[in-house]
Amino acid sequence: MRILIRVVLVLIVLGIIGGAIMAWNLGRASALPSGPVTSVAAAKVITQPIADGPNAEQLRRGQYLVRMGDCLSCHLRAGGEPFGGGLGLNTPFGVIYSSNISSDPTNGIGNWTPDQFYKAMHDGIGGRGQHLYPAFPYPWFRNLERDDDDALLAYLKTTPPVAYKPPGNDLIFPMNIRFMVSFWNVIALHDAPKSQAPADAPPDWSRGAVLVRGLGHCSACHTARNLLGADKKGHDLEGGVLDAYVAPDLTGNQRTGLGRWSVDDITEYLKTGRNNRASAGGPMGDVVTYSTSLITDEDRHAIAVYLKSLPASPDTDIAAADAGSMKRGAAIFSDACTACHLENAVGQPTLFPPLGNNAVAQQNDPTGVLHIILAGMRVGPSPTRPSPLTMPSFAWKLTDQQVADVTTYVRNSWGNRASPVKADQVAKLRRKLDLVNVRLTDNSGDQP
Amino acid sequence: MDKPKLDRRHFLLGSAVAATAGVAGALGAKVHDGELGAPPRTYQGGVPWQEGLADAPPGVSGTDYKFFTAAEREFIEAAVSRLIPNDEVGPGAVEANVPFFLDRQLAGPFGRGDHYYLGGPWAKGAPEQGYQSRFSPAQMYRAAIGAINKYTHANHNGADFAKLSEDERDALLKDFEAGKVQLEDGVDAKAFFTMLLQNTKEGYFSDPIYGGNKDMGAWKMIGFPGAHYDYREWVSRHGEPVPFPPVGFKGRPGWNSET
Repeated sequence: MRILIRVVLVLIVLGIIGGAIMAWNLGRASALPSGPVTSVAAAKVITQPIADGPNAEQLRRGQYLVRMGDCLSCHLRAGGEPFGGGLGLNTPFGVIYSSNISSDPTNGIGNWTPDQFYKAMHDGIGGRGQHLYPAFPYPWFRNLERDDDDALLAYLKTTPPVAYKPPGNDLIFPMNIRFMVSFWNVIALHDAPKSQAPADAPPDWSRGAVLVRGLGHCSACHTARNLLGADKKGHDLEGGVLDAYVAPDLTGNQRTGLGRWSVDDITEYLKTGRNNRASAGGPMGDVVTYSTSLITDEDRHAIAVYLKSLPASPDTDIAAADAGSMKRGAAIFSDACTACHLENAVGQPTLFPPLGNNAVAQQNDPTGVLHIILAGMRVGPSPTRPSPLTMPSFAWKLTDQQVADVTTYVRNSWGNRASPVKADQVAKLRRKLDLVNVRLTDNSGDQP
Repeated sequence: MDKPKLDRRHFLLGSAVAATAGVAGALGAKVHDGELGAPPRTYQGGVPWQEGLADAPPGVSGTDYKFFTAAEREFIEAAVSRLIPNDEVGPGAVEANVPFFLDRQLAGPFGRGDHYYLGGPWAKGAPEQGYQSRFSPAQMYRAAIGAINKYTHANHNGADFAKLSEDERDALLKDFEAGKVQLEDGVDAKAFFTMLLQNTKEGYFSDPIYGGNKDMGAWKMIGFPGAHYDYREWVSRHGEPVPFPPVGFKGRPGWNSET
């Protein structure tokens, strides 16, 4: 009898752990803000010149690392102050709020020791010894050198204190037990393997590898998750499916990846949020505003060189698009899309992306392009391109079937080739984005 | 909607309120940003934008009438069918659903005169001074239809305007237009005719989402392609018909079927 009880208890514990891991997997897939809050004013804080002084060099380095690490994308909520945190990351099992990492001694990390900060960055252990949820990208940040961690903390301690306490996380059982993360760490947390430069690699390839694999934490979004919510092995940077977005393939794939992009295309995109092929919106718009537009040309070049060295992801079988869907889609495109993207989707380089041979449009998972059509998109502003161009939401105008048809048409025209889209996929995303009922701006004028 | 009561007490009360509140008060509550008379707003830090929000036009739904009574609807159909008759050139105003368009307009902000200053004084303005009336458009239609029927009762053997022959209606409408008819209840026949004609054209040619221009019939008649955007390929191709079928804000039949 006792043995039976023990067996049952063990099974229960295993069940909880399994549930936690599965829930975490679901959560990992969506740990992104539901609406970007990009603010040019906030970006100014992390570009303020640092006056000469005894440790100015360390502070400048820390400030630069804050930009490289894209800290503000998460540690800033809409209407909040930089580093104050409080941005809710929506996950299927609840909301995780980013923490206050300003110099405030009570609410922020003003009292932290370098050792505490290192433990957070390297092991995901918070200031009170608690496990941090890996929505905080310590699995990538752990690749930093100790000097860099110290510089980061030194700089963060000079930021204006924000007297704001982010709300507690609102998670369902068992994910609300932080201890569960320790199981995740044992299974999923590894030191990154040292990247091996190819024989013909340009000199800044290694620098690019360090940035992409470490502080840049690109694969947090651009690599698919495995069952444990960690990077899926063998699918490195081949694109990740987020809750309501797709982080595109960054490999050399000609269709879905950066195969058609030059190094200059990539650096221009990282610097300005736009180039002749695409515009950075959604979560990537924030990355451009708070991070890649604020780093050096050399580092952008290094990132581009490294990304261009990634071998193409394998291509997948693509079902043929239905002729009726293509014909309806062509009609909708001609009437609804050509104002900006123009007939034949030639676009306006650096303003409105051409849609032919467009990697975003051809991702295997259409969620990203559907998201843009349904909810609209704003290009992340940057110092060189401060005007955030927007694409409007078409949720009020197009039915699910019409969105499916025009998306199918875009994905299979002008050299594009990608799986057709069905109306129920659109309906599902429309529900997820809360756009079943039209949401109006207060600028919409008279309503009956 | 309540019938407008324009007795002396309401009239005096209305002008007192309008005088006290002033233009801003009279307009402020109902006018949205971007519209004429909207209060200015200051934006800082960036152009406001939020994912998923749309600047959507209002549109209409359903087919029921919300403003006109059955008798008023008869009047409107009898009048607009003479302003734009159905013939081989194109659909008439009734066929294009203009009465329904007018009904929904009069039931909404336009009918309430949200965009108009309706306070006194009500001096007779010059033509270029536009609409000069104490009536909101809805009040104007209601009062005018009543007054015109009173007029036809007296001058056409007790018949409603709607029961008159096409020729009789044409003659009356021409007299209204020329300002030859004096109506009761403070209704300016010419001002009403001007508004009715203008609104009929609007319903006939505006986007179908507002309820009129059924099946884009008016646009097909004149070869207007509607809300189509990119014509650059066609700019230099003189003398060729534009190949695009008409399209409204909410699409066209080709969006839903392959034909």
